Amino acid sequence: MNAQPTSTGLPDATSGRRWRHALDVLAVLTSRDLKAQYKRSFFGFGWALGGPLLQVIIFSTIFQNVLGSRTENYACFVFIGVLVWGWFQGALGQSVGLITNNAALARQPGFPLSLLPHVTVSVRFLHFLIAVPLLFGLLWWNGIRPGIEWAALPLLILIQYLLTVGIAYPLASLNVLHRDTQHIVAVLLQLLMFLTPVFYNIHVIPEHLRRWYYINPMVSLVESWRQVLLEGRWPDFGTLAILTAVGGLLIVAGRRLFIAQSHRFVEEM
Amino acid sequence: MLGVVGANGAGKSTLLRLLGGVGRPTSGQIRTQGRIGALLDLGGGFLGDLTGRENAMLAGVVAGLLRSEMKARMDEIVAFAELEDFIDEPVRTFSTGMRMRLAFSVAVHTAPEILLVDEYLSVGDLAFQAKCSRRIAELRGEGCAIVMVSHGMDQVRKLCDRALWLKHGEVAAFGAADAVAGLFETEMKAETLRRTPDVARRRIGDGPELVARVNRFGTFEIEIDTVELQPGGGIRSGGPLAVTLGYHSSTPVAGAVFVVSITREDGTVCVDTNTQLARVEVPEIDGKGSIRFTLDRLDLGAGAYFLDVGVFESTWKHAYDYHWHAHPFTVDGGAGHKGLLAPPGEWRIGPG
Repeated sequence: MNAQPTSTGLPDATSGRRWRHALDVLAVLTSRDLKAQYKRSFFGFGWALGGPLLQVIIFSTIFQNVLGSRTENYACFVFIGVLVWGWFQGALGQSVGLITNNAALARQPGFPLSLLPHVTVSVRFLHFLIAVPLLFGLLWWNGIRPGIEWAALPLLILIQYLLTVGIAYPLASLNVLHRDTQHIVAVLLQLLMFLTPVFYNIHVIPEHLRRWYYINPMVSLVESWRQVLLEGRWPDFGTLAILTAVGGLLIVAGRRLFIAQSHRFVEEM
Repeated sequence: MLGVVGANGAGKSTLLRLLGGVGRPTSGQIRTQGRIGALLDLGGGFLGDLTGRENAMLAGVVAGLLRSEMKARMDEIVAFAELEDFIDEPVRTFSTGMRMRLAFSVAVHTAPEILLVDEYLSVGDLAFQAKCSRRIAELRGEGCAIVMVSHGMDQVRKLCDRALWLKHGEVAAFGAADAVAGLFETEMKAETLRRTPDVARRRIGDGPELVARVNRFGTFEIEIDTVELQPGGGIRSGGPLAVTLGYHSSTPVAGAVFVVSITREDGTVCVDTNTQLARVEVPEIDGKGSIRFTLDRLDLGAGAYFLDVGVFESTWKHAYDYHWHAHPFTVDGGAGHKGLLAPPGEWRIGPG
């Protein structure tokens, strides 16, 4: 059964054009989401800094002053955790409602719906990116200077992008059929934040449990960021290779699943 | 160009969706060739806080154009939508009509090879609708395949080459637009006849006797109780005429269409108008009410006429109540005329 509309023999339906169009869709929708979020606010995009800053201040106050955490450079330590985790949580939290909130796009003939998770993850990535200079400033202020090891950071970003988009695909399609998904995901993400070393050091996890703890890919990612930025060490490339493979697998499988399901989306909405 | 007709829920919109590749048929297959453009839910994807220009760019790229291609067409799109003065304002400040015009303009400028249209004629004012029709005809001339869902049989006859009539998701008829539109209309009338219950004969005031299935048809969710012609004494050619219909409904009915027509004894239709054509918003009908139609001048020649009045379902699927040839009246005056019309006029003899 051939149900997909096929366009053949058209001069402009080349794969080169498709890629350019995909990039344009990504750009246009990303800017739409950013503008829609900040257009009518005075500080605009600056609000992307508000959330992380507040979290850093709260965590620093509680853990350093009240609980007396002995981690060095705790503000930097927690800022890294908050930013890296924030991107992941924000992107997935929004991805769940991708299809259900974009019904008009889902109904558009020929629209490549499978681009939507990329849009959400990119939007959250830009939020992440705008806070990065602040992080670098804080590091500098604490006497940390850039080193050659920082070259590993783009790789960390790429891995997290792959993982997040890969997980976003099944979540978004599941939510169309079962609206409970969005609530479950919100709770799970909250839980997962505590199972990720965002505001505490991984050493507080008992040795015998740590093996299980590392199943959460965000643990290794947050750790890698800290190794590079705080300790000036290269991350463990063996781990990163595994994460890249997992991310690649998730994104390919997730996309397949998403496309296979996509013909049901409009019917279910 | 293919017209798709049928009652509500017959599967017309579903067919358009499937043609657009949104969803998958349970059985059978769909083959399309070329880029598909759609006039389905116009302006549905617009974001109120973005400007008209930003939304147009968005809609164009989503419909399959590159950003550079959209930039090149933007002026043309804005001009077509007649929104030059507003295009950089947020869309939330636009009226519904302005949004639809913009959405329509974007959709017809994306150079689709297949265009899916769902009831487009409700866009904007009459002048703009004429422009839309011209543009659709242009696209058709350029070789664009158009599939249009419509409730207007005149539109189907005028624009379409072939028509498809869907009934409960199945093909009831497929062929030349004229033939299918005719069949569909006949069936609609038959449907009204079939649904007309056998109610007791009834007299309206001291007026005519109304007999179901003879001169009265409908399903009677709404009933026309009184039909009053003014001036009551006698209707004069060139004088005013007012028709007041008193009605009641047993259940709330939305979107009803009132019809008034005047026919000569030989069947020639002289006046034929309805609230849909006249773009009169008929509020939901619940309980009793009345509606009035006035003509400033009735320039008909003297003679005997019938006043036909009715109230129809919003998509003309059947009549609620239709009085056919039940209200005869005569027009007096109009001296000096023999024809159908008796407009004011005079002879003057010149010196030569």
